[in-house]
Amino acid sequence: MLTLAKDLFDLRSVLQKKHIVIAYSGYLNEQVLGGVGDAIKHKLSIENADTKTIRNVFAIFVEQMQNMIRYSAEKSPPDADGPLELRYGVLTIGDEDGEYVVHAGNLIERADVERLRKRLQEIRSMGKQELKALYKAKLKAPTEEGSKGAGVGMIEIARRASKPIDFDFMDLDRDYVFFALRACV
Amino acid sequence: MEKLEIKATNRTPEVSFDFDNNHLKISGESYPEDVTEFYDPIFEALDEYLGNLGNSNCRFDFELIYFNSSSAKAIMMLMDKLDEAAEGGGAVEVYWYYDAEDDTMEELGEEFGEDLDHAKFHLEKMED
Repeated sequence: MLTLAKDLFDLRSVLQKKHIVIAYSGYLNEQVLGGVGDAIKHKLSIENADTKTIRNVFAIFVEQMQNMIRYSAEKSPPDADGPLELRYGVLTIGDEDGEYVVHAGNLIERADVERLRKRLQEIRSMGKQELKALYKAKLKAPTEEGSKGAGVGMIEIARRASKPIDFDFMDLDRDYVFFALRACV
Repeated sequence: MEKLEIKATNRTPEVSFDFDNNHLKISGESYPEDVTEFYDPIFEALDEYLGNLGNSNCRFDFELIYFNSSSAKAIMMLMDKLDEAAEGGGAVEVYWYYDAEDDTMEELGEEFGEDLDHAKFHLEKMED
């Protein structure tokens, strides 16, 4: 017996039970960011979210997507490095207790875990004023080695979030770890 | 010097550099696919203009609604260039307009503005 509809509906139900309104899991590029971003803005404005909330959710979404587009360790083709590569990530936007929650997850190389954990712990422990100072210091600093952006994306996420960001790592195999980041607005 | 006019897109701001009238403006949203590709021609035109500014007046308006973290670096570079021109004798005024409904942009304006040592900085609400 064909369970096509049931299978897909079950998948949708899993998301809905977690109060997820928008989900994207797959290969990413800047066009996905643009399109999903427009849908998010539209959905939030229908819900009459205030201007500042919409912009904060959107800003966090943009930084998370760009982090994954640039740094996810899961890419196609596997040896790609350049404009033709596609990187895999999962991003969800949900509604929990009256707050918007943005989750993003992607594979990273095991060798990068400690550096990222240390950086996020530091950001997580900072208050708004410290984040502001770090944001400016990073903007002025020369771009970090291996970085494809200004290196301020995570700080921007923390500044826009209504409470400290959460993050978690899960071992997958010898080489890879799954990294998840959560920010509330 | 010929005007630099770039129309806004979903992801890039409108740029209107009216060099002959010494009035430069950037407005809208900035989260380009490729920040370098978008801002390099803007930096190039600005460098040429400011290089010949001498003691003249120049007004630069920022009317941004949203910019991502990679654009922030470009905005800081624009500010640096303007401040340098002011240090060199130009009467440079920088206006930062923010949406009254979004104090994040007001805060960012303050943060960028406090780095201007020579150019005059104005922080203003956008008119509806």
